[in-house]
Amino acid sequence: MLKYEKTICPYCSCGCGIYLVIKDGVIVGQEPQSDHPINEGGNCPKGRNAYHFLYAEDRLKHPMIRKGGRLVEVTWDEALDLIASKLKDVEPNEFGLLASGKNTNEDAYVLQKFTRAIMKTNNVEYCGRLCHSSTAAGLGPTVGSGVMPISQLDIEDVDCLLLVGINIKETFPLMEKRALRAKAKGAKTIVIDPRKSATARELGDFHIQLEPGTDVVVINALMKIILEEGLENREFIEKRTTGIEALRKYLESLDMKELVALSGVPLKILQESARAFAKAKTACVLYNQGLNQHTTGSDGIKALASLALIAGQYGRPGTGLCPTRGQINGEGTGDMGCLNVFYPGFQKVGTGAHEKFEKLWGVENLPAEPGLPYTKMIQQTKFLWIVGTNPMVAAPDIDRVKESLASKELLIVQDIYPTETAELADIVLPAAAWVEREGIHAYVDRRVQKINKLVEAPGEAKPDWWIVTQVAERMGFKSLFDFSSSRDIFEEIRECVPPYKGITYERLEDILGGIQWPCPTEDHPGTPTFFTDAFKTPDGLGHLQVVEYRPPAEVPDNAYPYFLTTGRTIFHYHTGTMTRRTSKLNAEVPEAYVQINPQDAKSQNIKDGTILTLTSRRGSIEASALVSDDVPEGLLFLPFHFSESCANKLTNPVLDPACGMPEYKVCAVKMEVSK
Amino acid sequence: MSNEMFIARATRTEMLESGKSNGVVTSVLKSALKAGIVDGVVATCPVNGDRFSGIPVLITEPDDLDACAGSLHCSIPNLSRFVKEYLDGSASMRLAIVGKPCDLRGIIELQKRHQIDVDNVYLIGLNCTGTISPGDARRICQEELKIDHRDILYEDIDEGQLVVTMKDGSKKELDLWNLEETKGYGRRDNCRRCEYNIPTFADLAFGKWGTEESKDGGVFVEVCSSKGKNLLAKAQDSGAIKVENASKKAISLRTEKDSKELERAKWWREHDFKPILEMPLADRLEYWIREFSKCIKCYGCRDACPICYCENCLLEATGDYLGVGRIPPDATFPLTRLAHVADSCVACGQCQDACPMELPLTKMFTLLNSQLNEIFKYEPGVDVEEGPPLSTARPEEMRVDDTFLDLAALLKRATKPEKASE
Repeated sequence: MLKYEKTICPYCSCGCGIYLVIKDGVIVGQEPQSDHPINEGGNCPKGRNAYHFLYAEDRLKHPMIRKGGRLVEVTWDEALDLIASKLKDVEPNEFGLLASGKNTNEDAYVLQKFTRAIMKTNNVEYCGRLCHSSTAAGLGPTVGSGVMPISQLDIEDVDCLLLVGINIKETFPLMEKRALRAKAKGAKTIVIDPRKSATARELGDFHIQLEPGTDVVVINALMKIILEEGLENREFIEKRTTGIEALRKYLESLDMKELVALSGVPLKILQESARAFAKAKTACVLYNQGLNQHTTGSDGIKALASLALIAGQYGRPGTGLCPTRGQINGEGTGDMGCLNVFYPGFQKVGTGAHEKFEKLWGVENLPAEPGLPYTKMIQQTKFLWIVGTNPMVAAPDIDRVKESLASKELLIVQDIYPTETAELADIVLPAAAWVEREGIHAYVDRRVQKINKLVEAPGEAKPDWWIVTQVAERMGFKSLFDFSSSRDIFEEIRECVPPYKGITYERLEDILGGIQWPCPTEDHPGTPTFFTDAFKTPDGLGHLQVVEYRPPAEVPDNAYPYFLTTGRTIFHYHTGTMTRRTSKLNAEVPEAYVQINPQDAKSQNIKDGTILTLTSRRGSIEASALVSDDVPEGLLFLPFHFSESCANKLTNPVLDPACGMPEYKVCAVKMEVSK
Repeated sequence: MSNEMFIARATRTEMLESGKSNGVVTSVLKSALKAGIVDGVVATCPVNGDRFSGIPVLITEPDDLDACAGSLHCSIPNLSRFVKEYLDGSASMRLAIVGKPCDLRGIIELQKRHQIDVDNVYLIGLNCTGTISPGDARRICQEELKIDHRDILYEDIDEGQLVVTMKDGSKKELDLWNLEETKGYGRRDNCRRCEYNIPTFADLAFGKWGTEESKDGGVFVEVCSSKGKNLLAKAQDSGAIKVENASKKAISLRTEKDSKELERAKWWREHDFKPILEMPLADRLEYWIREFSKCIKCYGCRDACPICYCENCLLEATGDYLGVGRIPPDATFPLTRLAHVADSCVACGQCQDACPMELPLTKMFTLLNSQLNEIFKYEPGVDVEEGPPLSTARPEEMRVDDTFLDLAALLKRATKPEKASE
């Protein structure tokens, strides 16, 4: 029997529709889904090769336990009994759980509930810590919410786009389509990026090619120009914000010449950009890791939000700061509370959230103190359960990560492949992925869409939620985890997480493109635009922030003379686990490369393909050179998808004190031609 | 021999009552299935009753055909790909394929390339004056008609008017030609330029043109082949339909309607092509290079194209023809596609529908196609016997030495000049 079945792409968080063609229980192809409102039939290279990862030969099919140094296949009962017995007497602080941006909301909810209600700790995190924790820390005090405040569909109607540290052409191609539509209608685009990225080349009417890590300098300069030229939106500032006097005073104290010198951006470009942004009727700010992944990431976001506020670019369709989460459930796993400081629904630890959930769940002594952030959890816990995430490629300073993981009393890795992280595990659990199970995800703009189960998981692989529920039951908590389907879990989510209250499985089946939360009632259409009347701060006002520039924690010196920055290519995804097992994608970019400016290349007679050794204070890797003027002199770019040339062996694990975000985007390296 | 033309009516009345269709095509297909003339029917069916979400389906049970009755004007299924890719090119089963002119032309092109069987396939054509992409159709419903598209019972496009009949019986109309001219959206742009409204290259060509003045409805059918004649006869014999000869008036009415649409298509061709043809060559190149630069190498256009069928495509990253890992790819990518496909393009629009960066691919292909076909007097997708001119050589052409990348032959000739004088 041949059937076209709708689903949503498993890669970035745009949430594009595709048809899978299924014959006798096997996916045999995929076809464009022209009626999906996000992508209207088009897909990016990853989206066009969406399902092959499921059929990789080395999918995990059976539970395994390390016996005599070797991972040996065992029954589910043996694996689950062992986990239950090992975790029974563990102290709360000794345990930690890392969830995934790929699990469903139902999975994520069960994972955090297990950690909090059984293990009695808030040591539950997910990769959101490594990509958008600075968003919560930056936008919380400023506008009161760290989610995308608009619908991505509205991007095509704006008349100015400010893109900060984001390369949407390669990372969110279906947003690039909307940006191109806006540009075709005359929108001006400002791109802030040290690299001449594909996005900067295609969209950038103004390319602010700043010195790495000087985002705060540039944003302060833009605000200073706007205020000095009287281009601010006085009415908006008056009615909807607070803190303009302090901000104005601070910006007046800054010397424009110094800002130009620090950022390396010509004054004229700063001026023209500031004017284009301030004069726009509707301006949209999209930002991502290039801004976030610094020790000053939350500072940069505070400043950027202040820029949007003084220009009055908030509270209308298409406006405001849009953080762009990179995974299908980058938003949802956070919504479900897989963060050390938030119970489900962003109910903050320490504000009585634990008491509320004690009542909802019928338990006592839920943890009231924040748990450890992601990287600290890797270092400090003794019993670590890692679900669908691969810190052995994704976390900074990999050599140290390996030492930490190898020394755990118990390391459980639940995944779909034998990842670099799974290789270190004591227990490996095979998970069902994507269309092998049912559940919902929240995509980049809080768009909740449902994935249906369309094929069987390989071997004995099971949904993440099922695995956790089984362990909970064996630990004597069946009543708390009495779920027999993802629907059961979703019904509990609707009770405990108010923004999801009005969303039902039936509605999601019915509405193409899903529903944007908050959706308080079953007849509510969802909420495309935030902040229309008030911000989510306690006083409802936007809080303008005075932000002082601090340089990156590590800058080039004589020993390590180059800046290294990391990022993505369009053909690969994150730690490469899925795309490197997809032959058409891997054939495009089969190995890592280092982008190097022609002048720097010339100085050491480096050509395309020359093998280079990059060394930082933490480690060393090899990769082949790609000579390109995408990078300015003194800057090297290395994609982070390749475990054998692992960018994160080099990166600096120093954290933003406000949020625990590592400084992935800037570190100092030396470069030698490999012998 | 000229084709026979009839007005056909279904004898079963449920179809008529549903209002969505006259039931003639469904009746013909049912009787073909029942009589065992075909093993399956390929048609387009709404998903969960959503008329803007039609997908290709294979139907083997006669009663399942009812769900597909009535034309969908706001769904854009890729039927030729469905048959080629997932139904083994009809090699192992006999299929009746129901489609618009472009769907069937795509299938005929694949038949020429031996990707879809000829003998096993019955082509059932439906008149068409254009389709609307689901996204644009929803926008029309929201912004122009102020309706929920799920309340539509059926829709029709005729003489530039979109007429929707709602489930409550009310009707809404919209001047599509005007919308297209003033707001730049409406029917897909390949449809606006399309010169094939009546699929006379099918075995049977159905449509309502010519029945406008008939009191009790019916469908105009042109029998274009003996296969078609057989299908129609079976349906008559089974009592599912009744036919009468089409009157001269009906025939001329149909021709008039067709001519009017062709005029309109011509107007659109001029509208779309003239600005490009008026550009100096350098500007023209720059225009296309700028469009190509948006490409993100998803291969969506190639995969959707009924003409692109090579199993080992030289544009693949595993080949060594095109650089890998970069976007945009070298302009070799679109230009190779253009060289391979342009002579045979049937303007089905599937490439553009699948393009995430909205490159105006159909404009490029149709423009070149129209020029090539004038030179070669070739119409793609209408005659399975007629091979594509750029890959089919006439005997006199076969006498010309092949110089395309045949280095050995080139060298040989260079060392033996006397051969040229033979």
